[in-house]
Amino acid sequence: MRKVTLLLICLCITAMNSFAGGYQVGLHSQRNIGMGLIGTSLSYDASALFYNPGGASFVNSKFSFSGGVTFLMARTTFQSKDQAYQEEIKHALNYPLYFYLAYKPIKDLSIGVAVNTPYGLSMSWPDNWKGRFIIQNISFKAITIQPTVSYKIKDIIGIGAGLVISYGNVNLNKAIPLEGTGGEGNVNIKGTTTKLGFNAGIMIHPTKGLSIGIDYRSKIDMAVKDADAKFTVPQSLATNFPDNKVDVTLPLPANLDFGISYEFNDKFMIGLGLNYVFWNVYDSLVFQFKTPTAAIAAHQASAKLYQSRLITRLGAQYKINDILTVRLGGYYDPSPVKDDYLDPLLPSSNEIGLTCGVSLYPTKGFSIDAAFEYLMGSKRNGNDVNDNFAGTYKSAIFMPGIGLTYNF
Amino acid sequence: MKKIVFFILSLALLSACKQKVNEFNADRGSADFTKYVSVGNSLTAGYADGALYKSGQINSYPNILAQQFTTVGGGAFIQPLIETEDGIGLNQDNPFLPPLIPKMVLKILPDKDCSGTPIPGSYSLKPDLLTYTIDVPAYAAILAARPVAAGPYNNMGVPGAQLQHLFFPGYGLLNPYFKRFASIPVATASILGDAMAQQPTFFSLWIGNNDVLSSALAGTSLLVTPVDTFAKYYPMAVGALLASGKQPKGIVATIPDVTSIPFFTTISQQLPWNGIVLDATQATGLNTLFGMFGHTEITWQAGPNGFVVAKEDGTWAHMGPQDLFLLTLPTDSIKCKGMGIVDTTGGGYKLYPIPGKFVLDANEQAVIKQHVDAFNGIIKQTAAVKGLAVADMNQVLKSFASGMVFDGIKFNTSFVTGGLFSTDGIHLNPRGNAVAANYFIQAINATYGSTIPQVSVTDYHGLIFP
Repeated sequence: MRKVTLLLICLCITAMNSFAGGYQVGLHSQRNIGMGLIGTSLSYDASALFYNPGGASFVNSKFSFSGGVTFLMARTTFQSKDQAYQEEIKHALNYPLYFYLAYKPIKDLSIGVAVNTPYGLSMSWPDNWKGRFIIQNISFKAITIQPTVSYKIKDIIGIGAGLVISYGNVNLNKAIPLEGTGGEGNVNIKGTTTKLGFNAGIMIHPTKGLSIGIDYRSKIDMAVKDADAKFTVPQSLATNFPDNKVDVTLPLPANLDFGISYEFNDKFMIGLGLNYVFWNVYDSLVFQFKTPTAAIAAHQASAKLYQSRLITRLGAQYKINDILTVRLGGYYDPSPVKDDYLDPLLPSSNEIGLTCGVSLYPTKGFSIDAAFEYLMGSKRNGNDVNDNFAGTYKSAIFMPGIGLTYNF
Repeated sequence: MKKIVFFILSLALLSACKQKVNEFNADRGSADFTKYVSVGNSLTAGYADGALYKSGQINSYPNILAQQFTTVGGGAFIQPLIETEDGIGLNQDNPFLPPLIPKMVLKILPDKDCSGTPIPGSYSLKPDLLTYTIDVPAYAAILAARPVAAGPYNNMGVPGAQLQHLFFPGYGLLNPYFKRFASIPVATASILGDAMAQQPTFFSLWIGNNDVLSSALAGTSLLVTPVDTFAKYYPMAVGALLASGKQPKGIVATIPDVTSIPFFTTISQQLPWNGIVLDATQATGLNTLFGMFGHTEITWQAGPNGFVVAKEDGTWAHMGPQDLFLLTLPTDSIKCKGMGIVDTTGGGYKLYPIPGKFVLDANEQAVIKQHVDAFNGIIKQTAAVKGLAVADMNQVLKSFASGMVFDGIKFNTSFVTGGLFSTDGIHLNPRGNAVAANYFIQAINATYGSTIPQVSVTDYHGLIFP
């Protein structure tokens, strides 16, 4: 009965506010999602490789595996300022995956690998919409592979670090306001890149039941060198728009995470997480074209002026019996975007998320994990001053997910 | 069981949750848009690319305004549409072309050397007449034909009209663009009379541009309407519309300083005023030559010299740094025939000043600017007295000179690339008309407390490139 009650609480709460805080994605383990995405002080399974490498050595099994997928279904409405124009879009389904494997060759040492997508952005507006000269669609994904080592000393302090190998790809389309008999112009930019960063953390278990974690994930300069830019323009202007190579830099911000959690008994745990995201690295979006012409400026930068933000998370888990564990959580993720820079590439707003989750254990050590996150949008007004594009955005996201965890 | 039902209900509730954003709430405020009548000149008529054509009229700013007015109770807006997309323009002074010409379009044309031979592989993108195969009688018939839709016509914009023309009974006999839709009998119809007879509840008046522009287009300041005349007739025109019966509200618009439009700025950005660079021997030779013909007022020196212009009053002078070439300047004659100095193509030496109609000099600009300022003062004062909205298009165009952006589209006042003007460098293209309409709407909303939605400029196209 308590299970049903908890599920109902989770489903019936109408979360306020809207879109993801930036282009950072937090969907990295169903268990953690269920608890408001806390994780820096947790060491129940191999997902610690990502949340805090210092905690991986505290995982109590020789092998730990965790993997899963979240289905991200989002909808955004845009209402133009001072105009009757309204656009509502259903975003294409996104399904960030995660996969963690940790192995302990000796008791205090853990080695492992984490694979997930900590950053991403996907917006797809109609090709003929009002904002088409700013963006028609953009897809940006950074998939990271993180080989990691973790070592603990006397069951009190664990330290760990991983090398973050980030593979990024970007693909965007926008219209160009040059009309020919065949319609408007267009530019497509796509490219890929691989960059390195690191993830290091410490976990301390000072007394029984108490866990404190600190983790730092470095900034990654996701510079896509020599992306392909293809222009489609009226024939008379073609010589001004040669196919081009372009460098696009989209910095992936560093994260400094702090977590504290306490197990009251072997059933009930509650945790707090603080994530400081160094969004200020996203100062401007820069396109550097290699073959500039009279019509293509070599250096095209639009100011974004993101502000660093602190995300506060709370989560709890309750082990009802050997078969069933339930989770509940929430977080507040303030938008890094200022009102004057709110653009249709990423119409972010302050976000309050509420989450719940459940794990079913058919056998000891093996669980099927499910989590659910629902964000109902509130409105945000803004004007993208780079493009003088003003209006109100409202988004809703529905995120069910499923995963498996196996500790053996 | 109850709990399961509750659970399912909760799920259904969640999935039914569509996020709602309030739609735009249009309100007419204290104005009544039931019958809107626009009065003005070519800008109001939707004239573009040097001609009047149907889609240009459909994209006129009054027609765009009327569409937006329908959200606040605006009625039908009937325009005197001309049944051609070729466009019909009046050839003012080109002796090589017939009296009626089609619109201009952008074309890719082969560059030619001075003998008229195309230079292989060398092309330029430039405005040119749609066609040179012109069926003048057919054009004349189209221009003379009454519009398909029956009048009266809400859009009383008449290409070429100046302020005083609004009052002329029988103006249609002088201006074929009015004759084609003037009320019958044409011999007594006036623009203002036809507008008043419709008893508008709302009007727009954008007039006075030609009172300075017609003169400037001829490269002179001599034909500008005197300020006294403007001061007398402008309040009369506004007063007549206000007295037309339905106590209308309205909007008036100021006149852009003509020197900010591409027609007057484009060539001077490409061709320096002092493009004649001489050495000492050449300068001495030219001084001797000009002296032989009695033009000792023209002196040449080593280094850059201004082109010579024959002014409207018969005097000759070098161009100065403030003088502007007009878009109509025959640059081929400058390049190939020595226009601005000496024509040697005939074998001998013939002094060849640039005709004054291709240059608007600094003095002429000053006179025109003085009149624009005075006219705009009269327009604003009249509006203030009568409580009308003002679209300050002079100020708007000034702000565009340094660049503006809407919905990611960058605009400025440059020719072809600036995004506002049609190929004639004077009139707006459809997207430019949408931009203008938005400034009218802003002024109307501010004055009458209405919330008329603006248009999305992305719904309108700019120039069409080949």
